[in-house]
Amino acid sequence: MKILVCIKQVPDMESKFKLNSEGNWYDNSDLAWRMNEYDEYAVEQAVQLKTQVDEADLTVLSIGPDRVKEMMKKALAMGCDRGAHISDDDSFKKDPYEIASIIAAFAKDKEFDLIFTGMQSQDRGSGQVGVLVAETLGIPSITTIVDFAFAAGQITAKRELEGGIKALIKTTAPALLTCQLGLNTPRYPTLPNIMKAKKKELLSIPVAELHKVASKQETARMYFPEKRGGGLVLEGAVGNLADQLIKILKDKTGVLA
Amino acid sequence: MNFQLTEEQKLIRDTVRAFAENELADGSKERDEQERFDRVLMFDKLGELGLTGIIFPEEFGGAGADYLSYAIAVEELSRVCASTGVTLSAHLSLGANPIYLFGSEKQKQNYLTPLAEGSKMGAFGLTEPSAGSDAGGTRTFALRDGDEWVLNGTKIFTTNGGEAEIYIIFARSDKHAEKHHGISAFIVEKETPGFTFGKKEEKMGIRASLTRELVFENCRIPINNLLGPEGSGFKIAMKTLDGGRIGIASQALGIAQGAFDAAISYAKERKQFDQPIAGFQAVQFMLADMATQIEAARLLVYQAAYRASAGLSYSKEAAMAKLFASETAMQVTTKAVQVFGGYGYTRDYPVERMMRDAKITELYEGTSEIQRVVIGSMICR
Ligand SMILES: Cc1cc2nc3c(=O)[nH]c(=O)nc-3n(C[C@H](O)[C@H](O)[C@H](O)COP(=O)(O)OP(=O)(O)OC[C@H]3O[C@@H](n4cnc5c(N)ncnc54)[C@H](O)[C@@H]3O)c2cc1C
Repeated sequence: MKILVCIKQVPDMESKFKLNSEGNWYDNSDLAWRMNEYDEYAVEQAVQLKTQVDEADLTVLSIGPDRVKEMMKKALAMGCDRGAHISDDDSFKKDPYEIASIIAAFAKDKEFDLIFTGMQSQDRGSGQVGVLVAETLGIPSITTIVDFAFAAGQITAKRELEGGIKALIKTTAPALLTCQLGLNTPRYPTLPNIMKAKKKELLSIPVAELHKVASKQETARMYFPEKRGGGLVLEGAVGNLADQLIKILKDKTGVLA
Repeated sequence: MNFQLTEEQKLIRDTVRAFAENELADGSKERDEQERFDRVLMFDKLGELGLTGIIFPEEFGGAGADYLSYAIAVEELSRVCASTGVTLSAHLSLGANPIYLFGSEKQKQNYLTPLAEGSKMGAFGLTEPSAGSDAGGTRTFALRDGDEWVLNGTKIFTTNGGEAEIYIIFARSDKHAEKHHGISAFIVEKETPGFTFGKKEEKMGIRASLTRELVFENCRIPINNLLGPEGSGFKIAMKTLDGGRIGIASQALGIAQGAFDAAISYAKERKQFDQPIAGFQAVQFMLADMATQIEAARLLVYQAAYRASAGLSYSKEAAMAKLFASETAMQVTTKAVQVFGGYGYTRDYPVERMMRDAKITELYEGTSEIQRVVIGSMICR
């Protein structure tokens, strides 16, 4: 069985974000980077599947500058067999369609039985890449899965819907799945595996070899939402505080009409 | 020296940090209050991650990583739980490393492998009531009787004592020799008849770490459990402590970093006189000094670790790192309490615990005075 898992490196979401000079993306400098959270679930699921089936070969793919290799090493340490780094310093400028086309061009003649991706990236959040890869390759996709099982070529996945409803979906390989929070608890890579990951294959492919389409959308502007007025802190003696509060509740709300 | 961590070192740091923050941080306050050692969390899980054998080769169940990775791991654990930091350091540097450095092939297979894999825990018994800074005062005796050594005596202050399965014990094997002569090192297993545990220390800090008395009463161990040549115990102890000091220096560094992280985020949030206290120059200067001391300590610790992995001499550098990092930990945690004001003195915030934890790093594996003796004797020779 051949499995592919696609992962993206995103900034730590606790970073202090600044806008870039063009005003259409965040400034990439001085950020701490990590694996997109949803992609961790994808890697974990792919590794679990690999251990479940007897013969499996698990490739991890990432598009981006050299620094993404650090995160790919983590995926290799978690249990992926080989890495394909699609080297692209400008990946952040590409739209979901271009990214999906690059992945599809890589996967096209490799006959992957299963492809796992995150359900969305934490920094762009389009949620499009997985489904577009599946469409381009002409295979079914199941999105936002929270449970996964594979037996005798049959895939059974649970999707989480609004209102606490879940849906059970069945399909057969080849297929693509996008992974949601709750699917699993990603393992910590063990130290011996971190050391062994050094010796695993990590191919670098120039993006130009796979990037053949033009973008279909562009981010015109990125901006911070306007600051809403902050909270109100009342000061003074207790009795006076109560009076102030009652006045505000009367004037500004319907609670004490 | 290269100041960039390798990809592996960064990945190890991130992994241990994630583990420490997700699994260890929440319970450190409670474990401290209850003086509770949690074997699963503070040791077994470290084994699953491969931390218990981090510097040993794969053939002995280790991870095959370098000393710097080890230093980083102890630092990250100690940043949230100093008791876990010392549990690992005592196990690895003091319990397992002497077997790696001085053990026979057979001893490595029998004892180093389970220690490295984390299925067994290690400890080191050198200190006695009469032998503190002066290991030459050792009064535990080992008498040869046929195929066995018979141990009699008492070890105190043994980290991991009671829980550990494998102990490196120093005893005088030549009763006519004096001071640091005629001492040998032995590997003693828990459950050996004649080996029992005495007083469990109640401590100021690192309260979740075990510190216990070991009692040997006609405890018979096979001659094969002599570690290294007979009479070389003092040398083994000193060489072991060189490595141990890198572990304790890393523990101190982690404690200091943890206190600094807490102080800076508090200083940005706490408002007095209508502004965050981080806006006051007096507070900023404290934070600036703390950050600078920590950075200097880190460079010393990393340098010692780098030298150890590169096969260079590192006794002096390890002593310097341990001396400076431990004094940094004490100063930084004290300032962190100051930044927190009265709140810092309460158990609602972690900095008072960190201040209590920091003190031990100036004491064990050689007090600060003894580090100065080591450094002084090396630079004045
Ligand atoms: C929590 C804890 C855990 C420990 N874990 C272990 C362990 O796992 N294994 C183990 O073997 N030991 C362990 N120890 C023992 C520890 O290493 C000793 O306590 C330490 O070496 C100091 O010895 P001492 O307490 O006898 O102090 P002393 O040697 O009595 O020192 C008292 C004071 O005199 C000073 N002093 C002594 N000699 C000199 C000198 N030559 N020049 C200048 N000043 C001097 C010291 O610096 C100190 O200030 C532990 C101790 C504690 C508290």
